[in-house]
Formats: sequence, C-alpha cells, structure tokens
Amino acid sequence: MEELGRIKQLIVPFFGHDMTFNIGVIIMTWAIFGFLLLFGYLASKNRRIIPGPVQVMGELFINQLYGLTEDAMDEELGKKYGPLICALFMFLLVSNWCGMLPFMEEPTKDLNTPLSMGLMGFVIAHFAGIRAKGFKGYIKEYFEPMFFMMPLNLIGELAKVVSISFRLFGNIMGGSIIILVVSHLVYSVLLPPFLNAFFTIFVGAIQAFVFTMLTIVYIAVQVK
Amino acid sequence: MTDDIQVWMKVAAFVGGGMAMGFGAIGAAIGEGYTASKANEAIARNPQLSGDLFKTMLVGQAIAETASIFALIIAMLLLFPSFSVISPLMIATYLAAGLCMGLGAIGSGIGSGLPTAEACIGIERQPGMKNRITTIMLAGSAIAQSPAIFALVTSLILLFIDFSGKPVSPTWAAILGAGLASGLGAIGSGIGEGLVAKSGCEGIARQPLGATRVTNVMLLGMAVTETTAIYGLLIACILIFKSFPAAESIAASMALLGAGLCMGIGAIGPGIGEGFAGQSAVKWIARNEEGTATLTRSMLVGQAVAESTGIYALVISLILIFVA
Repeated sequence: MEELGRIKQLIVPFFGHDMTFNIGVIIMTWAIFGFLLLFGYLASKNRRIIPGPVQVMGELFINQLYGLTEDAMDEELGKKYGPLICALFMFLLVSNWCGMLPFMEEPTKDLNTPLSMGLMGFVIAHFAGIRAKGFKGYIKEYFEPMFFMMPLNLIGELAKVVSISFRLFGNIMGGSIIILVVSHLVYSVLLPPFLNAFFTIFVGAIQAFVFTMLTIVYIAVQVK
Repeated sequence: MTDDIQVWMKVAAFVGGGMAMGFGAIGAAIGEGYTASKANEAIARNPQLSGDLFKTMLVGQAIAETASIFALIIAMLLLFPSFSVISPLMIATYLAAGLCMGLGAIGSGIGSGLPTAEACIGIERQPGMKNRITTIMLAGSAIAQSPAIFALVTSLILLFIDFSGKPVSPTWAAILGAGLASGLGAIGSGIGEGLVAKSGCEGIARQPLGATRVTNVMLLGMAVTETTAIYGLLIACILIFKSFPAAESIAASMALLGAGLCMGIGAIGPGIGEGFAGQSAVKWIARNEEGTATLTRSMLVGQAVAESTGIYALVISLILIFVA
C-alpha cells in the first residue's frame, strides 16, 4: 500500500528555485512515443494490397478516426485535423493500457499529462476559431448573448479544459487506486485480472475515446 | 488527552463507516430494483427470451452494484483502522471519507440501473441486436460509475494522506468540505449520466442502423453531464492539497466548509438537468437521422446553459477558498 500516491521525482536546483521533474512519467511518455513510432513504421513499411496484420490495425485506426472527424466537421477540415485526432487517440489508448504491464505506469495517472493534452486541444481549437471567423468575430462570441456575460463565457471556456483533463485523470487514477487497494485486501488472489480487464482495458478505452471525441467537438464548435 | 483523541478517532471511524455503507446502499438498491422490474416486464411480453433477459438482468445488476461495493471497501477500511497517526485531524478525516463515499454512491447506483433496465426492454424488442445493446449497456453503466469513482478517489486520498503537519483549526473544515464537495457533487451527475445512457440503449433497440451515431452522441452527452462531478472533485483536491495558515477565528473554517457545501449541493441540479438534455437528444437522434448535427449542437448548447449554475457554484467556492 506504500506505493499509493508516491511519485518518482527528480528535483534540480535552478538559481534558488527547485525545478521538479516527475521522472517516471517522463520516461513512460517517451517509451509510449517510441512504441507508437515503431508501430507507425511497421504499419507503413511494405504496404501491400493484401495487408499484413500490423497494416490492418493501422488502417483500422486511421479509417475510424478520420470518419469520426469528418462526421463532426466536414470533408476538408476532417482531412486537416485527422492526423492530430489519430495521434491523440492512439497516445491516450496506449497510455491508459500500459499500466497492465509490470513496472509500467500510466502517464495519464499524473495530472500533468491530461492537463497538457487538454491545453493543447484548447489552444488548437481557439486558434482554428480565430482563423475561421477572424479575430473580431471570435472576440464577439464572448459578448453574446449580452455584453456583461463576458466573464462567465470566459470561465466557461476555461472550465472546459479543467473538465476534460480531470475526467481522464480521475478515471485512470481512480481505476489504478481501486486495483491497488483491492489487490492488497485480497492478497492478490483471483480478483486483480478481472479488475484490470474492467478498469484498465474497458474504462481506459472509453475514456481515451471520450477525450478524443470532446477535442473533436471543441474544434468543430469553434470553426463553425 | 491523547487517549481522549484516540477514543474520538474510533468514534469517527465507526460513524464514518456506518454512513459510508448506509448511504451507499440507497442508490444501488433502487437501480437494481428498477432493472428487475423492467426485466420482468420484458419477460412477460416475450417469454421465449427469458433466458437471455434473465442473464442481461443479472449482469446489469452486478454493474449497478459496483458503487455500493466501493462504499463497502471504504466502510471496511474505516472499521479496521490502523491508528498509526494520532491527531485530532484524523477525526475529521474519517468522517469526511465515510460521508464522501456514501453520498457519492447514491447517484451512480441509481444512474447505472437505468441503462440496464432499458437494455432488457430493448433486447426483448429487438433480439437480433442483443450483442450491440449489451455492449452499449456495459459502456453506459461503466461511465455512469465514474462520479462514484471520483468520490472513491477522494475518500482514499483522505484516508491515506498524512495531514499531521497542518494546523488543526482551518484544516478540519477543509477536510470535511472536500468530502462533502466530492460526495454531494457526484449525486446529480450519476443520475444524469444514467438518463443519457438509458435513451442510448432504447435508441439502438429502436433503430439498429443508427447504432454508431447513437453511441457517439451518447458518449458525448454523458461526458458533458459528468462535468459538475468533476468540479466537485476539483474543489475537493484544492481543499485537500492547499495548505491553509492557522486561524483561531471560526470564520476561516466556515469559509472552507461553505466552499465544499456550495460546490457539492450546487452540482446536483446541473447534473440531472444536463442528463435530461442529453436523454432526449440521444432518443430523437435514433429516430431522426437527418437531424443528427442539429440535435447534437442543441444538446451541447442546452447542456452548457444548464451547467452555468454549476459554474456559478464553482466560482463562489473558489472565491470562498482563495479570497474570503
């Protein structure tokens, strides 16, 4: 039970301040980047009409996620934002699932990862909004329906970032804590595989999908 | 004095454990009973399917019970405490952990009973779509559990974090406030998400061809409905991890308790309201394919407006914590 809430940190002194790096999360994130790059390389190497197993998986991801993006935006914008959405979903899916392997931890269990993903989506959505509607049109939306609603509209936009990142963080963190505590209570007999199947595979996949869907919708709302 | 505190810690642990399991039993039982009633209705209409329907009912009830099992875990942890740290703050901690999990299990218990009930009716109507409906039922009731999971996370953090270095006077209120924010905040979202998932199951049974678009909009609607529970979790995290300076006056403590109560109670209504918005949008998207884009947009706008009162509660809580 001692592992609960422990974070591997590297603290570097920097001109009188301490810079804190969550070293475990950084290593895990880079390991997942490496895995995804390898997957992309294997899927696109030796492309054939009759695809191999890795190519089929790659095509499946691309088709489904491009389809989702095109449904929410239109054909042209879907092509533009498709790669971003694919990358986001695959990163989150592998991140949520990697906690099953021994010595691996979900990077999404640390609030920094979901928060940075949420901020990324926020910045992209608003940048796309400014480009689509022009700066004036973009600013004007904050003063609707009445000018004094501006602070609340602003808070509402910022609350989107908080909700999208805390949703992922809370679910993954909660799942891993439940697995840890219950495994501890039953001395790791019988229950942990089922808990992993439910909380890691099932909930992890759903939450990765929900995060991706919400990012698509936030972008789509801004460009329309 | 130390003996006194130890006695009161025990009292708090027992009361907390009792409240965790007592409140935690409310929601799941209602949800399971509702599922059973709908399963009976379905079996009566179509007795040949009774085997399938019975199985679906049992699986659904098992999921609806998850929230109650979380409450059972917390109650067990509270009934056999280690008392390694002896501090007056632990009294507040045990009470808050029990209240948080007990209240947090109510909404998800009721909520996850709704899609499973509708899945039984749906399978009776459309036996060919049994697998698809079962998958949606599982996904819907799993997401409807997440407010209960947030409450569980808060209670476990409360139980396992060491508060010993902090001043007693405002921190006890922060701890109780955190428990109330996360626990009460989970009620509305749990029920609301259940409403959305319910019409997802119904929609797929009515219009099997629209399964994909119903699923997508359902997941979206549920995710937005969950937002106020996330605000509750956020306020709870701020109250737990921020260190407050020692204050003799009761006003500082009450501000923190008030912040927790404000966010917790303020999140109940928006959660249920957003659930209504999502419910009808998903229901009508199944029947009216051309309207998908318009309905999705009006659902999101309607939910955003219903959520604004939750955002007011969030603003007031933040002001109470950081300014007052």
